[in-house]
Amino acid sequence: MSKTLKGITLKGSAELVAEFFSFGINSILYQRGIYPAETFTRVTQYDMSLHLTTDAKLKNYLTNVISQLKASFVIFVAEWLFDCTVQKLVVVITSPQTNEVLERWQFDIDCDKTAKESGAPREKSIKAIQEEIRSVIRQITATVTFLPLLETACAFDLLIYTDKDLEVPEQWEESGPQLIDQSEEVRLRSFTTSIHKVNSMVAYKRTNSM
Amino acid sequence: MDDMEDDTTIFSTLKSFKSFISCPDRSLLETEPAFGRSGLQNLYTKRVELEEAAERVRSHTSLLQLTQEKQQMELSHKRARIELEKEANSSSRDLQREIDRNRELLLQIRHLKEREEKANQELNEQVENNKALKRNFEELHKKANEKDSKLSYSSISMMCGTLRDVRNTGIKYQVSEKKRKIEKRMLNLYFTSRNSLICALLPLMCAVHLQELERRLALQEQDSVIVKNMKSEVARLPELEREIKRLREENTFLRETKENNSLLREETEGLRRKLERVERVMEEKLKVELEKEKLEHELQAWENIGQSTGLNIRKPEDLSREVIQIQQRELNLKQQNYTLNSSIRSVEKTRTELMPEIAQLRAKAQEEQKKRENQDSLVRRLQKRVLLLTKERDGMRAILESYDSELAASEYSPQLMLRVKEAEDMLRKVQTHNTEMETQLSKAQEEAGTFKLQAQMVSVCVCFFRQKIEELEAERQQLEEQNNILEMRLERHNLQGDYDPVKTKVVHLQMNPTSIAKQQRTEEVEQLRVECQRLRDRLRKIEADGVMTTDDTTLIIPPSQEILNLRKQMESAELKNQRLKEVFQKKIQEFRTACYVLTGYQIDITVENQYRLTSVYAEHMEDSLLFKSTGSVGSGSMQLLETDFSRTLTGLVDLHLFHQKSIPVFLSAVTIELFSHQTVT
Repeated sequence: MSKTLKGITLKGSAELVAEFFSFGINSILYQRGIYPAETFTRVTQYDMSLHLTTDAKLKNYLTNVISQLKASFVIFVAEWLFDCTVQKLVVVITSPQTNEVLERWQFDIDCDKTAKESGAPREKSIKAIQEEIRSVIRQITATVTFLPLLETACAFDLLIYTDKDLEVPEQWEESGPQLIDQSEEVRLRSFTTSIHKVNSMVAYKRTNSM
Repeated sequence: MDDMEDDTTIFSTLKSFKSFISCPDRSLLETEPAFGRSGLQNLYTKRVELEEAAERVRSHTSLLQLTQEKQQMELSHKRARIELEKEANSSSRDLQREIDRNRELLLQIRHLKEREEKANQELNEQVENNKALKRNFEELHKKANEKDSKLSYSSISMMCGTLRDVRNTGIKYQVSEKKRKIEKRMLNLYFTSRNSLICALLPLMCAVHLQELERRLALQEQDSVIVKNMKSEVARLPELEREIKRLREENTFLRETKENNSLLREETEGLRRKLERVERVMEEKLKVELEKEKLEHELQAWENIGQSTGLNIRKPEDLSREVIQIQQRELNLKQQNYTLNSSIRSVEKTRTELMPEIAQLRAKAQEEQKKRENQDSLVRRLQKRVLLLTKERDGMRAILESYDSELAASEYSPQLMLRVKEAEDMLRKVQTHNTEMETQLSKAQEEAGTFKLQAQMVSVCVCFFRQKIEELEAERQQLEEQNNILEMRLERHNLQGDYDPVKTKVVHLQMNPTSIAKQQRTEEVEQLRVECQRLRDRLRKIEADGVMTTDDTTLIIPPSQEILNLRKQMESAELKNQRLKEVFQKKIQEFRTACYVLTGYQIDITVENQYRLTSVYAEHMEDSLLFKSTGSVGSGSMQLLETDFSRTLTGLVDLHLFHQKSIPVFLSAVTIELFSHQTVT
């Protein structure tokens, strides 16, 4: 994770955001019990203790996705974050029995396109960004209190909203937005690296309580 | 009218005739010179013609007269006919009326005749009744009389008879007394005469005589007794006569009273009927009075209506008249109302039509007024000007005159001329200044007017713009609200994860955990289904052929040895059971037959604890004894229950069961009896 000390470049920002995503998704998976708690280890990041999965498949999957997000210069055509072509990242939690979407964690990414052109780094300290990230992850942890219980063993999926004309690599396919029927939405905190702004929100299926 | 017309025709014909006459005169006069020789002939012919014409005219007139007369006659005929018809109608009606009256009178006569007959009949009946009653009465009277007479006659006759008897007896007594006296004298004589002679015969004769005398004395004593009785009875006679009189008087009195009674009864009946009638009449009177009161009330009310409404109402006709009048007034008023409404509507229409015209006219009037005012102002100015000018003129004139007058005195003319010129110049300058000022003033006024118009227009525009501003403000607010709503919606959709398919797309990895989980699930489900099916088949197979152990389905477990053993055991047990049953059956049958034969009773268990015994020698099939076991099962205490057959064996029951308390004895006694019955019969 290359961090420039002086300022934030687009690449640096992309890296930061990708990092946030990886930890954030892991936290969500741990908090919502998508995978058993014992499959997670604790790591320290952003001056807080976060969970990271040890499941190899999952790790692979996540790195796949996130590396795609990161978009290395060389390999993939889709330099999405770098290209500012990715608009949203969504963690969709579905129940495999009923195939209905129970939760949706949506992260809107606003990319400042001028950063690409200018090339000059922006003034924002890593610390501040990390603080912001930390608060977002804390909030994600806190939201578990009011989210409805996931009674069945659920599965998750990562969706990426991109520009229409973007070429996707083979492993990626188009899918539906997987919206929740009758959802309640809660907007969470956002953080910005001065180039990328990430808004977080969670949508969950309204429980028809008696 | 016809006469007039006829006269006019006559006059017209006379006129034509005269004209005709005049024309030929003219023609005659004209043609005279032409026809000189045949003038007289012509004249003659013309005269003849004229005469003919006159005759024709006369005939025509006479014809007209005749037609006229004929018409008149026809009219009079018609009139007469109409009148006759009317008379005929009236007479027919009268005739009808008379006929009807006749009929009615005939009917009445018939009714009256019938009534008369009925009355006559009733009268006859009454007379007959009366006669009968009279006859009855007379008969009764006769009977009474007869009875009376009989009584009286009988009493009288009795009395007379007794009197006669008494008299006879008295007479007889007297006679007998006389006789006795005579006889006594004779006797005495006899005695005296024959005392001496018949001293010897005296005792005999005396004795005989004594006997006879004694006999006669006895008889006379009897007669005297009778006479006494007769006397007493005769003494009673006046009393009886008095009684008779009294009785007769009583009789007459009673008869009278009877008559009076009957009369009184009739009277009472009559009076009762009258009373009833009178009561009825009284009731009717009460009712009528009530009705009268009611009617009076109503009448009062009606009269009060007259008073209350203040109209001159005394009869219902007046009321109806008033009502009709009121209705008519109402109708009139309604009509007026409608006409007024229609007129109002028309007037309104004309008004609305005239309104714009009025507006136009007003505007025009205003314009005219303005013009007029302007003109007036102009006029005033001009008048002022004129006044000023006249004043100047007068002044000038005065000056000129003064100068003229002074000229005659002195010669200041060139100076005056100069002064005049100067004054004239001054005047002209002033006048031009004036005109200039006036033009300026007018211009200024015009400009002011234009400015005013502009200001008005501007104000109108301002109002208009203000309105527009307000509308736009409202629109803006609306649009803001809509914008807010749309933004919220957009935000909401954004939160929910909506996207614009034109610009964005959603991608994910094919090999993502959800799809993997789904796959796994389907696989699991499939596996489970397969297993389920497998198990179901197995189960079916097991159920189907459970006995057959050797089967070539590899999945079925071959039946174990235990099951076979158990099956064998079961079969053997069943067989045992079966055999035991048969044996028991046989034995029971044997036992029962032995009991029957030996004891003579067939014992059946009909109901729990009830035993029915049927004897060998029973006369009927139904003859049976019922015993019930009381107490515990094995105790053996029995009771006899009542059956038809047991009722016939009451003696035996009493003896053996009640006294001896032994059932076997009873049963044997019954058997013996039945046997005896059997053998005897």
